[in-house]
Amino acid sequence: MLSRFWQLGKPYKWAFLAGFAFLLLTNGLNLWIPWLLRDAVDAMESGEPLSTVARLAMAMIGIALAQAVVRTISRLLVLGASRKVAYDLRNTFFAQLQRLGASFYDRNRTGDLMSRGVNDIQIIQSFYGPGMLNSLNTTIVYVAVLILLFRIDVGLTLISLTFYPVLLFVVNRLARHTYSRSVAVQEQLGEISSRAQENLSGIQQVKTYVQEAREIQVFSQLCDEFRTRNLALARTRGSMISVMGIASGAATLIVMFAGGQRVIAGSISLGDFVAFNAYVAMLAWPTIALGWIINVFQRGAGAMRRVDELLNEQPDLPVAAEQGAQPGFVEGDIEIRDLTWSHPADEGSEPARPALRNLNLTIPRGSRYALVGPVGSGKSTLADLLARVYPVEPGKILIGGRDINDIPVDVLRRSVGYVPQEAFLFSQSIRDNIALRDPDASDEVVARAVTAAHLDGDLAKFPQGLETVVGERGFTLSGGQRQRTTLARALVGTPPLLILDDTLSAVDADTEKAILEELMQASQDRTCLLISHRLSTLSGADRVIVLDEGSIVDQGSHEELVQREGLYSRLFVRQQLEQRLDVR
Amino acid sequence: MRGGTSATLHEEESLGKAYDARLIRRIWPYLRPYRGQVFLALLILVLVAAAQLAQPYLIKIAIDEHITPGQLEGLAAVAGMFFIALLAEFLLRYAQFYVMERTGQNVVYDIRTAVFGHLQRLPAKFFDKNPVGRLMTRVTSDVEALNEAFTSGLVMILADLVKLVGIVAILLWMDWRMALITFAILPVMLVVTWQFRSRVRSAYRRVRGVVAKLNAFLQESVSGMRLVQLFGREKANAELFEGVNGEHLGAQLKGVRYDSSFSAVAEMIGSITLAAIVWAGGGRILQGSITFGTLVAFIDYAEKFFRPVQELSQRYTTMQAAMASAERLFKLLDTEPTIVTPDSPKSLPRPMRGRVGFDGVTFGYDPEQPVLHDVSFAIEPGQKIGVVGWTGSGKSTLIRLLTRLYDIQQGSITLDGVDVRELDLEELRRSVGVVLQDHFLFAGTLEYNVSLGDPRITPERVREAARAVRADRFVERLPKGWDEEVRERGSNFSMGERQLLSFARALAFDPAVLVLDEATASVDPETEHHIQEALETLMQGRTSIVIAHRLSTIRDADRILVLHQGQLVESGTHDELVEVQGGIYRTLHRLQTASVA
Ligand SMILES: Nc1ncnc2c1ncn2[C@@H]1O[C@H](COP(=O)(O)OP(=O)(O)OP(=O)(O)O)[C@@H](O)[C@H]1O
Ligand SMILES: Nc1ncnc2c1ncn2[C@@H]1O[C@H](COP(=O)(O)OP(=O)(O)OP(=O)(O)O)[C@@H](O)[C@H]1O
Ligand SMILES: [Mg+2]
Ligand SMILES: [Mg+2]
Repeated sequence: MLSRFWQLGKPYKWAFLAGFAFLLLTNGLNLWIPWLLRDAVDAMESGEPLSTVARLAMAMIGIALAQAVVRTISRLLVLGASRKVAYDLRNTFFAQLQRLGASFYDRNRTGDLMSRGVNDIQIIQSFYGPGMLNSLNTTIVYVAVLILLFRIDVGLTLISLTFYPVLLFVVNRLARHTYSRSVAVQEQLGEISSRAQENLSGIQQVKTYVQEAREIQVFSQLCDEFRTRNLALARTRGSMISVMGIASGAATLIVMFAGGQRVIAGSISLGDFVAFNAYVAMLAWPTIALGWIINVFQRGAGAMRRVDELLNEQPDLPVAAEQGAQPGFVEGDIEIRDLTWSHPADEGSEPARPALRNLNLTIPRGSRYALVGPVGSGKSTLADLLARVYPVEPGKILIGGRDINDIPVDVLRRSVGYVPQEAFLFSQSIRDNIALRDPDASDEVVARAVTAAHLDGDLAKFPQGLETVVGERGFTLSGGQRQRTTLARALVGTPPLLILDDTLSAVDADTEKAILEELMQASQDRTCLLISHRLSTLSGADRVIVLDEGSIVDQGSHEELVQREGLYSRLFVRQQLEQRLDVR
Repeated sequence: MRGGTSATLHEEESLGKAYDARLIRRIWPYLRPYRGQVFLALLILVLVAAAQLAQPYLIKIAIDEHITPGQLEGLAAVAGMFFIALLAEFLLRYAQFYVMERTGQNVVYDIRTAVFGHLQRLPAKFFDKNPVGRLMTRVTSDVEALNEAFTSGLVMILADLVKLVGIVAILLWMDWRMALITFAILPVMLVVTWQFRSRVRSAYRRVRGVVAKLNAFLQESVSGMRLVQLFGREKANAELFEGVNGEHLGAQLKGVRYDSSFSAVAEMIGSITLAAIVWAGGGRILQGSITFGTLVAFIDYAEKFFRPVQELSQRYTTMQAAMASAERLFKLLDTEPTIVTPDSPKSLPRPMRGRVGFDGVTFGYDPEQPVLHDVSFAIEPGQKIGVVGWTGSGKSTLIRLLTRLYDIQQGSITLDGVDVRELDLEELRRSVGVVLQDHFLFAGTLEYNVSLGDPRITPERVREAARAVRADRFVERLPKGWDEEVRERGSNFSMGERQLLSFARALAFDPAVLVLDEATASVDPETEHHIQEALETLMQGRTSIVIAHRLSTIRDADRILVLHQGQLVESGTHDELVEVQGGIYRTLHRLQTASVA
């Protein structure tokens, strides 16, 4: 983690160093002022003319002006660099989010991830900005003041600082508390963020099922816990600041007592005494600031732990961008060999029941396969694996004779037009949603996809047509419109393999049939895998695979399966029966 | 957001002129319940200031009465007093810090829950326009920024002012002419502050706006990450993120510029005053009109005087940042919930009959673009009504209007003869059980997703409802069964499983009116058949509205409504409708039976 702090600051080391140099300068100037003050007091005491004092005062003003300029520059450099560090870290954070696969998102909640990317990085920024600035400031002031104090009177300096070692001990203990308590605070903020995210993104359901009161209650509980944790953190922070203050005040006390004696004894001048007093007073602020700095550092470390956790996460799939762009498609027969697979389980809980068991299947190139089966039988899971949403062991899935793990990810993803069962759209225009794979796609390509998905009728009704901006997740479209938009999106770029996971369930059966028929005709040499509960629309498939509880229980052409006693014929007869009844 | 060229939801409209006084007035009601604590903190602060301000004076006594005259005796007593003042200062400071922090946390708790509660009351329309990430920013970091305003802002500013007044009084008392020299600089300070004010504010306003945008982008990217990856959008997406992030950086750097120069200028003004005191004081000492002790004390006080002045400048920026957040928060709180329970709601007859009436209903999500035109129909208690129509014809919209997620522009919708706008909103929504077209599960266990924490829904009832829709089969196979935790939106369950659970929920609640919007679209035929059978008994004598694309599900309905482009074009029983020459239903039906043959 420390190395992460170093690594992040490194690109800006010159800005930081220059900032520190200016800081040194500004502190030098700052320390000059009491020195001049001492001279002025001594001058007054020895009865020198007012002009000497006036000259010294002028010098003080000059220094003050210079100091303002230098301080501004130093702050600009250091604070500016801290913002840039946060900027870089956020970019890295986001890039990492994009490298992580579905199993990571199964384990982590959106709201918490957002909190890490925004709130935690904000705290890390304070570490680099005000944190660094003040810690350097403090160190400089300490060192310089100590040197000056020693120059005035070694003995007096030593006794006036007797309290400081005690301080170190206390602070060290408090610092550990600060760390663990601030991690606790940040974690709770992540919880709040998650809860808010889930609530807001399902607000229509919350309203429909009258869950507002309950949601508010749960949210309030989280906020209450947040308050408790914050107050625990405040207690350590408060004691830190007080302890620091007492230590520094004690120094002044000792100066007054011991220093006063020395002045009376004549071993130091009154001017020395005044300057000594002023310097010790100067120590007070950085000492209190030290408490604050330790805070910022500990909180920064806590936040970094949360960000680091994510950055250290290993992607379970190779990352497309890191493999280098590869042209072309992957085509050929799809072979699945003895595939057994279960969803990655949460840490500590028992492994999930396999979603797929001993699957053996070959889908020849250019054929149309249908996948059917009861709810939860593993259809979507199989589709996910073919699109490599989750990793599989080597040797289990092959496309065109190549192990799926050996196919560059971008080639695979380009070759598979996968329409996941959940129709998700981004809150951008319908056109941008359709041209997701290729934003430069020509209007013609987009228009073809729109026609193929029978979207043109709907678009004609929208005043802005293709440029209509949809709400988040596409919620301002009707269910069927949303599904067909996701279908159009998969068709852009003419992928040689098309997987439609129940893509037309919210579309009337006739539109569904028309879309599928046209789609099949338009793409004679495309391999298609259709998943659907409407068996009637699958009758055009070359082969139907019947899945139950993760295993293939039957396969064959529609006609064959209907003949055989089995799940398929049962399902089919059921559906047919229902439809036939219409014709009564 | 990803296309770069098209308009996006993520841009936030700018705010008008800033009025701090008004904002403070808005914040006050949240502070009011804790005013006792605030006053306590202030009181402690006065004591802290007293303890603090006593210290230089004690040093003056030490110098003038003991050190200069060389009188050691009594110095110990002065030192002892100094020590007491010191100890008191820091113990009180701790107390003050804690009291203030607690008040701040309490206020923030109140505001956060108020904002969240307010969000729950806002109409669905509001959420169509506001990205989730932006609203999350309000509930998280904007509220946190306000916290800063309380703990290191508002009260500390008051504290500083108290301290300043104390110092001013002491200085005037010690030597008014010297004091006036010390204060001469204050007007300059005020002018400088004034100059910085509006700039700092606008810089922070931008920061707040961009943070919301950053959150909105993150929220959407994370929720849609699977698609980003499937469609190879990582690179383009990273560039977009860098764009927003860069905007954030730019806004921050601007803030840094003002921040840096402002505090340096404040510090400079302090040093200049010091010089002025030395200059003027030197002359007065030569004249013998003041003592050394006075001069030293003056210098000390001047230090103590400018520390808060400098800090005020720092706090001022914190306050500006907080104000920028407060503006956005109050703007959100000012958004009127347009769909609420009326002041004196009418109540539904008990037991409910379940009569539903749509009368001349015209509605558009955008009032200029109606999606339903003059729709009228009546459903008698206990009837089963089917609704069919091509996709996008407005079927789901009917449901959203019945449960008053949106309000209609013309006409009326009644439940048991009472206009839905006159009903208690909760009562209305509880009496209409809906299985929505969108598959969504709540955070919590599976059991919670069916019972929704309602004590009337016993575990037995949950299981019974689940059995009716065959959801029990998959639940029982899970390692933790009904206690299995649901992940975000239900993503650890298959689509059909999610739908079955929503179905079970609707049944468990046993509503007077049951509405099914494509409730079996993601379910296999066999399960569907079971559900149909179960429904037949369960729905006996209950009003139900069934939206379906598969005509088989509604063939036995008492009446079928056909929607076409937002208009009710046909209505009648299955047998009647198939006879209508050139009718839509007839066409749909012919197509569907043809596909079976
Ligand atoms: N929140 C919204 N804001 C704006 N327009 C909307 C919103 N929701 C739906 N629409 C539009 O209103 C029209 C009717 O939508 P609705 O969801 O009622 O259709 P539907 O009949 O249920 O269709 P489907 O069978 O596809 O579910 C559509 O054109 C849709 O784009
Ligand atoms: N992310 C996940 N984590 C854990 N288990 C999961 C996850 N997604 C699905 N499952 C489980 O895996 C099994 C198979 O799910 P899958 O989505 O493949 O079913 P399906 O055949 O597509 O069903 P449906 O017809 O309902 O879409 C189900 O029992 C489901 O609960
Ligand atoms: Mg599925
Ligand atoms: Mg709908």
